[in-house]
Amino acid sequence: MYGEASNKLVQNAKRTLALPHLPPYASDLTRSITREVRDLDKDVAAVLAPYAGSFNPSEAPETACALLVNHLCMRRNKRCLLAYHRVRSDKLEAYCWEGVDVLEQQQQQGHREEGRRAGGGMGAGGGKEESSLSPEEEEYVRQYSDLLAAYKGQWTDIDLTGSLEPPRDLFIDVRVLKDAGEIQTEYGSITLTKNSQFYVRQGDVERLIAQGYLQRLS
Amino acid sequence: MDIDDLLAEVAVDAIPQETRDLHELTRCWVAERVSPEILPWPSELVDRVLERIRKQIELVEDQTGNMDPKTSFKLIIIQTELERFKFLVRSFLRARIKKIDTYPLHIKALHNTSLDTPFPLLSPSELQYLTSHQALLSNHYSSSFLSQFPASLQRLDDTAGGISMVDRPDEDKAVFVRALRDVGEIFVEGTDRRFEMKRGDVWVVRWSAVKRWCVGCGTGDVELI
Repeated sequence: MYGEASNKLVQNAKRTLALPHLPPYASDLTRSITREVRDLDKDVAAVLAPYAGSFNPSEAPETACALLVNHLCMRRNKRCLLAYHRVRSDKLEAYCWEGVDVLEQQQQQGHREEGRRAGGGMGAGGGKEESSLSPEEEEYVRQYSDLLAAYKGQWTDIDLTGSLEPPRDLFIDVRVLKDAGEIQTEYGSITLTKNSQFYVRQGDVERLIAQGYLQRLS
Repeated sequence: MDIDDLLAEVAVDAIPQETRDLHELTRCWVAERVSPEILPWPSELVDRVLERIRKQIELVEDQTGNMDPKTSFKLIIIQTELERFKFLVRSFLRARIKKIDTYPLHIKALHNTSLDTPFPLLSPSELQYLTSHQALLSNHYSSSFLSQFPASLQRLDDTAGGISMVDRPDEDKAVFVRALRDVGEIFVEGTDRRFEMKRGDVWVVRWSAVKRWCVGCGTGDVELI
């Protein structure tokens, strides 16, 4: 009661800031905070009911104080919830900008866990949440990447999600870490097979470096 | 008009538009990255630069395949320049998007008041991005938890209780500035500090105190560094 749960949630958010990945969505905490707010609101309504809209704080300071505490708690809970969701959505947006497909990753993770569970003979794991995103967040990621694609589409020549490091050399040395197939460049096509090394135009392979297919050699 | 003004005019004309645009873009880029507030959208400048980028890309596409060593060397230079220009524009746009994402409601309000002036704060596509992003966020909040709140607590721009929900940038943040022309006396509000800024001076000063003269949003007498 009175903001204890939201305190936990904020601590969770603070921890999330420093983590490289997204921890599972705290749906239990969110639910209990929302319930707490509703209860507090009911309390307020119950306290105010006998006054029938003509409550004068200076006549009953003790009641006014109780109301104030309830109000402040509700506001604080709302703030904490907003902060928690904002931290997570910021993180999801950052993934979108970096070109990491969060939804796919989540699915793969889910499959891997399923596979492990089936292999270990543990049977059904009791309905454990596989994705660390809430359904709302998954929807948000989907819509945000659409939005981002639409905004990016207006700047095709610039490639908005490109590197934010100032370019030094037009051509760079890269080593292929994973087979990436054939790519087309202005100087003909190159077949990227594992462990081979190329001297290519940076703009042509930037995506592949970001996705981990190539490694830049300095 | 005295002789200095005449000389200055001749000197400016001697520099081609392209070079001036590059200087201006670089200045805008630095200013946008340093200033705590978002600056008005330099639409003409960006249009010119984008047009030139497009032309250069076409040129490069036309001339690749030409095996003459002289042209390929020229192409490499053009492409290097192209990459640098693209980086400038990209970094500039990203800096703006970052501010838009951090202070959406505040910037939207400012943009609406700036619509009457000749320099709107945001470009049409930025405004569209801001609006849709904000809609997405509030949708996300309300489907996650806010819809179950009492109606009086569902707003996202509440100012009751002494705390405004609308985040604002810190306008008193310190910035490094260099005076391009004599500015005169500057008074820092909230303190009793006054000082004289002369051409070529470099100062660390509150953004709110020098904003009026800055490149990009004021008279252009002072540049951010």
